[in-house]
Amino acid sequence: MAGKAQPRASREPASATIEVTTWVTKHVGGDGTGTKRFDEDVGEGDTPRTVLRRFTGRFPDLDSALWSPDHSELGSHIEVLVNDEVLGVTYELDTPLTGGERITLLGQFMGG
Amino acid sequence: MSPTATTTRTSAQPATAATHAYAGKILRVNLATGKTWTEAWSEKDRREYLGGIGLGAKILYEEVGPKVEWDHPDNRLVFATGPLAGLPVWGTGGLTVITRGALTGGATSTQANGFFGANIKYSGYDAIVMQGQAKKLSYLYINDDVVEVRDAAHLAGKDTWETQQALEAEHNLSGHRLSVYAIGPAGENLVRFAAIHGDYGHVASKNGCGAVMGKKKLKAVCIVRGTKALAAHDTRGLIQAADDIAHDLKTDPSTSTLYNFGTLPGVVNLSKLGVLPIKNYTTNLTGDVDMKEWEAPALRGGFDHRGHQCNACGMRHCHIQVIPKGRYEGERVDEPEYEGWSGAGWTIGLTDKYSVSWLNTRIDRACVDVNEFGWVCGWVMECMEKGYLTEKQVGFRLTWGDTEGAYKLLQMISHRRGFGDILAEGVKRASEKIGGKAAECAIYTQKGASPRGHDHRGRWEEMLDTCTSSNGTMESANPTFQTEVGAPGRINPFDGEQVAKLVGMIRGRRHFEDSLGGCTFTFRTKMANLARALSAATGWDYRLEDAVRFGNRTAAILRAFNLRCGIGTEVEYPSARYGSQPVDGPAKEHDIRKQWDRMLDVWYETVNYDRKTGKPKRELLRSLDLGWLEKDLYGKK
Repeated sequence: MAGKAQPRASREPASATIEVTTWVTKHVGGDGTGTKRFDEDVGEGDTPRTVLRRFTGRFPDLDSALWSPDHSELGSHIEVLVNDEVLGVTYELDTPLTGGERITLLGQFMGG
Repeated sequence: MSPTATTTRTSAQPATAATHAYAGKILRVNLATGKTWTEAWSEKDRREYLGGIGLGAKILYEEVGPKVEWDHPDNRLVFATGPLAGLPVWGTGGLTVITRGALTGGATSTQANGFFGANIKYSGYDAIVMQGQAKKLSYLYINDDVVEVRDAAHLAGKDTWETQQALEAEHNLSGHRLSVYAIGPAGENLVRFAAIHGDYGHVASKNGCGAVMGKKKLKAVCIVRGTKALAAHDTRGLIQAADDIAHDLKTDPSTSTLYNFGTLPGVVNLSKLGVLPIKNYTTNLTGDVDMKEWEAPALRGGFDHRGHQCNACGMRHCHIQVIPKGRYEGERVDEPEYEGWSGAGWTIGLTDKYSVSWLNTRIDRACVDVNEFGWVCGWVMECMEKGYLTEKQVGFRLTWGDTEGAYKLLQMISHRRGFGDILAEGVKRASEKIGGKAAECAIYTQKGASPRGHDHRGRWEEMLDTCTSSNGTMESANPTFQTEVGAPGRINPFDGEQVAKLVGMIRGRRHFEDSLGGCTFTFRTKMANLARALSAATGWDYRLEDAVRFGNRTAAILRAFNLRCGIGTEVEYPSARYGSQPVDGPAKEHDIRKQWDRMLDVWYETVNYDRKTGKPKRELLRSLDLGWLEKDLYGKK
């Protein structure tokens, strides 16, 4: 009926944006500068872990840079932010996603 | 004519088993009398104290009593290198300066690179320990066994580059052949955050070590590349270890950018984390600045540049640049480190990269710590904007991003002219003197130490480390390959307990690195790799656990020194602005003050020091074979 929201029989397609920045772009076809953005589908039960696994499955170089050698956890080379916050604050690797999130991959900086 | 033709050369001495990797001698200089002598140091001491910060901590503790303040003639100024210096490992021209510093009044350990460390080693010394005060401005000249305190009247007032150029011309040597570490006008005028600069771009910057040198009336230390033999115990093993370290630097994802671009990636990276210090911590937003222009390739690519590598270094890190356009077109500068892009740039609201590059080199030439300069200048800019300081007080109007104004302030500070005389005391003392609202804007630790060029409100481990450290700067952070010592690879950076535990667990690594005679960047590898290189160099069986033990011993000695100087737990806090909650940016939801005391509790528990007294606990000292220190701290049992 007009004006009444239709019940969702199933979850509507949603997506998250994966933002790959600076030197990490080298691993996804970039030149190591700027930012490359990718829209990734987010389905029922998806988390940053599952979305990133699917994403890195397409980019072998990024796969080895992002994950620990046994692929069980994130390695220490790349910082992962969700909506501008590092993991471990509001989002963990296994926090459910609902769509609309922005996952940023930022190279670790050891400064001086 | 060969550049070496004018030097007096002694016959090369063959290396002996007793001196693998080490020269085996410490050079002592009494600036008051001009007397110089050497003393051997034992194999036992070399193994216990290694070199660099380890050796310096021992000398400081044994020879600088509590009544010997930073400006007392009996304060020691130590230039120490380490067992890898001069050997074929990347970046082994390293120098550690250890002294009792002018900002905190406590221990200082600060590192710089270039060729000095290698030159000392080839001249037959592992360290130079300077005491006393020269009668007039002098420089120390070292050419193998020739060690002389020479008149430096002709160098008075020169900046650090001018000083090096003058000494190169005087001795007809340059490049690798002659290393010069000097103070600029700031050191001569005892600016409390004066630094010591060498080899066109390397700065031992922390805790006013340049003021100590200036108080000793020592303008420069000038060292010809020596002719003494130097050999590793196991040359093949050393080269293999060095190759493995270099391979990791080039290929490991987290260090390969360091290999390619040095610390240039820091600006963009840290801006995304809310850790870039912008306009004296008044914002974490980069505004309408095109950050693509601040990425590493753009920062380097916008200049004519050539590599300016340190001793035996294969990194693409250090560069000399020519400014291609703008007001400073044609000027030759040292490519700023990240700290320069922040201290001479973003902290003071300056975002034109050519201007930042120019100003950063000017800061090195006047020779003050670029971090503290940023905090001082940014503080003045903010206070003038808000009316807490007036044009009449400062002497002119200074606004955010004003390059020429910042340079004018630098000159005032370096020569202690007008308001510069107050600012030369550092931002803590200056803001306390002015008081009122101005005092609330200043960024410092209560110890007086100057934070590095990051917004530590988004990087809690660095704030905690800077406030608890005993070396005038960060002592342990940032975590580097921390899983090697059982620390977690990742934590919630805003969980104070996790942060404190991590900082405690990684304690000791930096001390080990800074004892070896090399560069913190070329040593960004696992400690086990460095231990392997050390073993091959010396013939010792040196392992990861030895490195951790060494680091914790050195930290305990420095802590004890500071306690003896009266620097206790009551000053382990940030200033109001330093510890404030950000108003915007990625870290704005997080207030470190709410967790600070708990963080200290956890840190003390983790490092096994007493929370109330600050002393390393007895059982820790015993486990580190520091019975003599236990007796000093606790008396006879």
